[in-house]
Amino acid sequence: MTDEVQPYRVDPISEPEAATEIKALLAACDLSYEATVEVFVVLRRGRRTIACAGLDKNIVKCAAISPELQGESLSLLLMTEIAHLAHERGHTHLFLYTKPDNVDRFRACGFYKVVEVPGVVAFMENTPIGVRGYCASLKTLRQPGAVIGAIVMNANPFTYGHRHLVEYAVANCDHLHLFVVAEDTSFFSYRDRYAMVKAGISDLPRLTLHPGSEYMVSRATFSSYFFKEKNAAADSFTAIDLLVFRNFIAPALGITRRFVGTEPFCKTTNKYNRDMMHWLRRPDSPFPPIEVVEIPRIANGEVPISASEVRSLLAAERFAEIGRLVPPFTLAVLRDKHRPGRTASQIPDPPTWVENALSKKGQDSYEDS
Amino acid sequence: MKIVREALAGTLESSDLMVRIAPRDAGLEIVLQSEVIHQFGAQIEAVARETLEKLGIDAAQVIIEDKGALDCVIRARLQTVVRRAADEWTADWSVLA
Amino acid sequence: MKLRRSMLFLPGANAAMLSTAFVFKPDSIMFDLEDAVSLREKDAARILVFHALQMPIYRESGMETVVRINPLSSPFGMEDLEAVVRAGVDVVRLPKTDTAEDVHQLEAEVERIERACGREVGSTKLMAAIESASGVVNAVSIAMASKRLIGIALAAFDYVMDMQTQRGDGSELYYARCAVLHAARYAKIDAFDAVFSDVNDDAGFLKEVDLIKRLGFNGKSLINPRQIELLHNAFAPTDEEVDYSRRVVAAALDGEKQGLGVISLNGKMIDAPIIEHARVVLRRAAASGTRK
Repeated sequence: MTDEVQPYRVDPISEPEAATEIKALLAACDLSYEATVEVFVVLRRGRRTIACAGLDKNIVKCAAISPELQGESLSLLLMTEIAHLAHERGHTHLFLYTKPDNVDRFRACGFYKVVEVPGVVAFMENTPIGVRGYCASLKTLRQPGAVIGAIVMNANPFTYGHRHLVEYAVANCDHLHLFVVAEDTSFFSYRDRYAMVKAGISDLPRLTLHPGSEYMVSRATFSSYFFKEKNAAADSFTAIDLLVFRNFIAPALGITRRFVGTEPFCKTTNKYNRDMMHWLRRPDSPFPPIEVVEIPRIANGEVPISASEVRSLLAAERFAEIGRLVPPFTLAVLRDKHRPGRTASQIPDPPTWVENALSKKGQDSYEDS
Repeated sequence: MKIVREALAGTLESSDLMVRIAPRDAGLEIVLQSEVIHQFGAQIEAVARETLEKLGIDAAQVIIEDKGALDCVIRARLQTVVRRAADEWTADWSVLA
Repeated sequence: MKLRRSMLFLPGANAAMLSTAFVFKPDSIMFDLEDAVSLREKDAARILVFHALQMPIYRESGMETVVRINPLSSPFGMEDLEAVVRAGVDVVRLPKTDTAEDVHQLEAEVERIERACGREVGSTKLMAAIESASGVVNAVSIAMASKRLIGIALAAFDYVMDMQTQRGDGSELYYARCAVLHAARYAKIDAFDAVFSDVNDDAGFLKEVDLIKRLGFNGKSLINPRQIELLHNAFAPTDEEVDYSRRVVAAALDGEKQGLGVISLNGKMIDAPIIEHARVVLRRAAASGTRK
């Protein structure tokens, strides 16, 4: 049938002609092409590409329908195919970023809004019980107290700097909720990082250690997704993560205060901390404000302790120096995991998704907090 | 039969439904979204529950995105998703009718 | 004898079409589990069609239900057959029928399932689709292979590839059409023509319908509901034909009553084939009026 719409899958690397058509469609829809998309679904009528959507792991990107054909049935077919394709690739829980105007369209496709930066971007997921289900389980871990604190840390690896931050926080709230970033894109695996944190804080009272989730400092909440109006979106890219924290996680646990370390080295984390002050505290939100407490890093001699410094020393096998920066359990993990002959240049930099986002802003490096 | 993996069946198109299923320790959790939820929500859930019970599924999380499907389509999609998610498919056609 | 002018193809995985297609009122409705269903959805389509066949609307409308199953040699065919025979399908359409043996094998399995599920043995009818040179050459033995066969159908897409040609003005199908038609007439079963795939080309469609009607086909497989009315109208007799047929049938009844051995109308003898043709014309007129 000549006018039948058929879905196809496109590998943008091995099918450059199809990728060119996708780029043209995206441009016509005022969207930019994302090189991180691993695979696309396109709808074609005859030979013409009339709709597309891509998958970057479990994040739906570059979803577009030819402007003169904005029929709902096309988006339903497109998103059905994306759901099945993602499922085949092992991703059942999907996220997407879109313009707020498109929220209703994606709602019809089984996506639910999590948070929105008004006028800029909305963050959605493909389940009605995703963030709400997560918060329901968090609620069972609520603790009494007037001041409830929270820290989200990557701990790549866990150092005396992290320990200092946790000690300070515990001393300055009634109960502390400590989250370990779950995303497995760091040098140390999530499992190792979690074990290091757990060992490093086991003696501290009034503290709950939580596994991380996709709802905080994850590829999903920290997506490098940009619209063509790059500046507005780039300014908002930390906002989604912080709004999820303020609107869902903090109310679930009654968190009133978030603790962070200062960032002398890293512009990204520094920006994240600055943005935290804005999004967690801005008064025009229906959710209670959260106090942000930024404390200076402790230094070992002159230089503040940082995880990236530890990784550099590890590459050079300088275990004696590492021992002055990290607790004994972390040191044991480092010795255990270290593979001789691995040079610093071979060590992947931590969270690459943040780095990707950054390179678009022309910033230079990322250091772990 | 036991649900041992996540699975997906159906479509988002009109008169159909998309259903996902995931393992759960105990109990059936059915989360239903429908354009006709006020009118037919209870009936859709009852059909879903009965279909799962007939297959002997007593523990699973089921998320249904209904687009106004007929009862027989709801049964068909739930049976399909169970077939895809179960450790072994032992249902006879007479059980599905 | 049942009218089978239009046989509407529905992709078996499409819930919306399965739920609503009865409104188009084709003579037969064919749920497809084969080529219209992707590998991913084979299981889903089978279960969906299993339920659709049991919908009261299909059971009670008098619309004939047909299911095109996957070949029995594929990983899906046998399970398709189990599902549709148990669900009470009227006709199983076997794709890619190359020899009478294919029909024998299908018949044996159908009978086994009928016995297993308590369905009346013989109540499941069959249709064989001929899609290759082998099928066309063996058309007669295929058409004679089972009492359950209600018809044979030409499927052009695979056939033209097997013949190392492609669809064109219809000349590429002349031999196959005539061979299938003769085999069907010889076996006294129905003959169905292939689909016309360009749903936007009404003129081309009607030209092809005119051809296959003149050749003698009972009907045609369709892929778009819009084609049903066009087809029924093209198959509808003219007022003159209806008028003449009425008089033929009246004369026949009259002759029977009087116990006449030879029946005549306006001084001309009318024999059994003429009377039978007149009855077909009246049935077509009763189904969709006279041609507009």
